Amino acid sequence: MKVTFKIWRQEGPDDKGAIRAYEVDGLTEDMSFLEALDHLNELLVLKDEKVIAFEYDCREGICGQCGVFINGRAHGPHDNMTTCQLHMRSFKDGDTIVVEPWRAASFPVIKDLIVDRSAFDRIIEQGAFISSKTGTAPEANAIPIPKEVSDRAMDAAACIGCGACVATCKNSSAALFTSAKINHLNGLPQGRAEEHKRVAEMTYQMEIEGFGSCTFTGACEVECPEGISIINIAEMNARVTKSKVFG
Amino acid sequence: MALNQLFFRKTIIAATGLFLCIFLVVHLSANCILLLPEETARSLYNSYSTTLRESPLIKIVAYLLYLSIILHVVFALLITIANRKAKPQKYVMNSSRENSTWTSQNMGLIGTMILLFIVVHLANFWARIKLGMGDAVGLDAAGNVDVYEVTSSLFHNIYYVIFYTVLAIPLALHLHHGFKSAFKTLGFYHKKGLRIVAKIALVYAIVMGVGFGIIPFIVYSK
Repeated sequence: MKVTFKIWRQEGPDDKGAIRAYEVDGLTEDMSFLEALDHLNELLVLKDEKVIAFEYDCREGICGQCGVFINGRAHGPHDNMTTCQLHMRSFKDGDTIVVEPWRAASFPVIKDLIVDRSAFDRIIEQGAFISSKTGTAPEANAIPIPKEVSDRAMDAAACIGCGACVATCKNSSAALFTSAKINHLNGLPQGRAEEHKRVAEMTYQMEIEGFGSCTFTGACEVECPEGISIINIAEMNARVTKSKVFG
Repeated sequence: MALNQLFFRKTIIAATGLFLCIFLVVHLSANCILLLPEETARSLYNSYSTTLRESPLIKIVAYLLYLSIILHVVFALLITIANRKAKPQKYVMNSSRENSTWTSQNMGLIGTMILLFIVVHLANFWARIKLGMGDAVGLDAAGNVDVYEVTSSLFHNIYYVIFYTVLAIPLALHLHHGFKSAFKTLGFYHKKGLRIVAKIALVYAIVMGVGFGIIPFIVYSK
């Protein structure tokens, strides 16, 4: 199949950048989207042109590295999917596919489609961990946790930090990411000792990094590859109030 | 730890928004008096508005109302500016229609339309009746200020009727998104509860939109 890629090219953080069009032939429907970009890069190498810089690691939908904006949506046309799990069969022969990097003041472009997501790391550093040494895994029944509670914590823990929530949010809010990390730990007994400090410091860091506020458009939960529910944000809001009162 | 602006601003918007939602229920209920036969409507409407103006309790609520509208608008403006700064570069292609509603993406625009409506609405009624601007308002047979006459004459002007009816659409859209989001902003995170809130928000928005939109037409055709 043959498609026209319109891809954001930007030499470096200070370069202005622009969309460039590439007609690519010889693709198959079985190719993943990233393989199609690999194919395009091989053609560029043969033509002695600079290859398109894009991020990836596992290519099996669990690492969260491959985030790009495809045809106006984070990770492409499907809901709840990473870019690496997107295949060319989702497009038609002759399609034009617009590929852009995540857009957010807190995610500056490094090159082409690669953005700097270290703002997320700095939020994590503020408290998305447990300070005490827990040793090896304890005996399973030593700390009884209701199934519902552990399920909710696990659902929140599924966040892979890809940044699709920030990318798709019109306000570049990191509320879904931060709430997932907070609720994961604050919902479990191990995380409870530091719950108020964690909420206060992680949400404060979110603000320092320049992310916007959540206005509940709901776009983030549709684009999140792990299907993290927006209800996590409401729960985080409750925890912020709780931390102000009891923290 | 400094004040968390992201949450503080949103909390103010949600709380004032919900207060305004309650106000609208009272407002629409009073408007329903206009649907009664003319003479009954006139005396009831005028005595009701006199009671409101003379009650000290309502005076406090009225100041709360002015404050709520101002805070809602000012904080919405502050948030919008901060949010624009958070996303300085827009996408060349953005298919936000596929993951969210138009309303949720354009609350600022819709809110501005409602603000425009409020300015005209206050000029029509509040400025004339409370501030005494424009033509003097007469008294009815019972000696109450004839607010009914002000309303009725305004809604016999087809341009105002159209203006009031059309602007009920952004009101309904704004209420639908605002009502259900306010609960989440204020930290209500019960899954089933939120589903019920969403349903109530839809019914509430329809009732308010249709109610405020249709009454001027009924008065016009009376």
